[in-house]
Amino acid sequence: MKILIADDSRVMRQIVVRTLRQAGFGDHELIEASNGREAFELTTSENPDLVLSDWNMPEMTGIEVLRQLRAAGNDIKFGFVTSECTPEMMQAAEAAGSLFFIVKPFSAERFDEVFAPILG
Amino acid sequence: MSVEVEVNENDLAEMVEQVWSSYLDPEGLNPLIPTYDQNQPSEVHSSVSITGSWTGHVVYASSTLAANRAAAAFLAMEVDEVSVDDMSDVLGELANIIGGNVKAMLPPGALLSLPQVVLAPENTTIYPTAVRISGVYGIWDGEPVSISMWHSRSDNKEVDE
Repeated sequence: MKILIADDSRVMRQIVVRTLRQAGFGDHELIEASNGREAFELTTSENPDLVLSDWNMPEMTGIEVLRQLRAAGNDIKFGFVTSECTPEMMQAAEAAGSLFFIVKPFSAERFDEVFAPILG
Repeated sequence: MSVEVEVNENDLAEMVEQVWSSYLDPEGLNPLIPTYDQNQPSEVHSSVSITGSWTGHVVYASSTLAANRAAAAFLAMEVDEVSVDDMSDVLGELANIIGGNVKAMLPPGALLSLPQVVLAPENTTIYPTAVRISGVYGIWDGEPVSISMWHSRSDNKEVDE
């Protein structure tokens, strides 16, 4: 499977990659986007199987990326990995079609719990 | 009408502890040891602003060595391999993570800014109309680290009046 990691923080992208490996998902192809617009464009051009997106990013926020993808008819599996988690954000994410909401700081166990059903 | 501060020092300490146990001290060998000294020195700092239902700043400050150690821990590298860019990125991420967790405890309608990083002591940044309302101040592996919350009085009419 191909997984897109979208986060404007290089550090956090590295941590997400490392945590995916620690959780046993390192064999999947991992690609990265450093802002929301790049995430949207790579999702369209690279056709990944799953998108892990930050919420607060330059160019486009994560929720804007998700809404734009859905508006374009793209039903890719999409979820958030973010330091922000309020009830209204979770509701907005779910309403837009998000599969999961992982809050930073996170652990490999949390990744396993969320991604095992998705990635197998 | 003033806005109640719903994040106290214990909440802040809990968020900080989660960052330490997740990234900076996963094996539990080097916790942040409280000093309760809000005037402890710093050499670098980062911050995020929160606006809306609550307005203010969350500030992470430390010595340069502590910031380099944090970067090494985050990026899984040796301290002497850490570049200034690595250190800056990690400082920004620390403010972002803690700020995001603070925001989650505030009333609905708060917005979090992207992080700002300043490679100079904390007291070189002035937050107009903001006052420090709480903080966690400690020593990590012999080096000063602090996380503080600053509340802007612009959303507090009682103070403005």
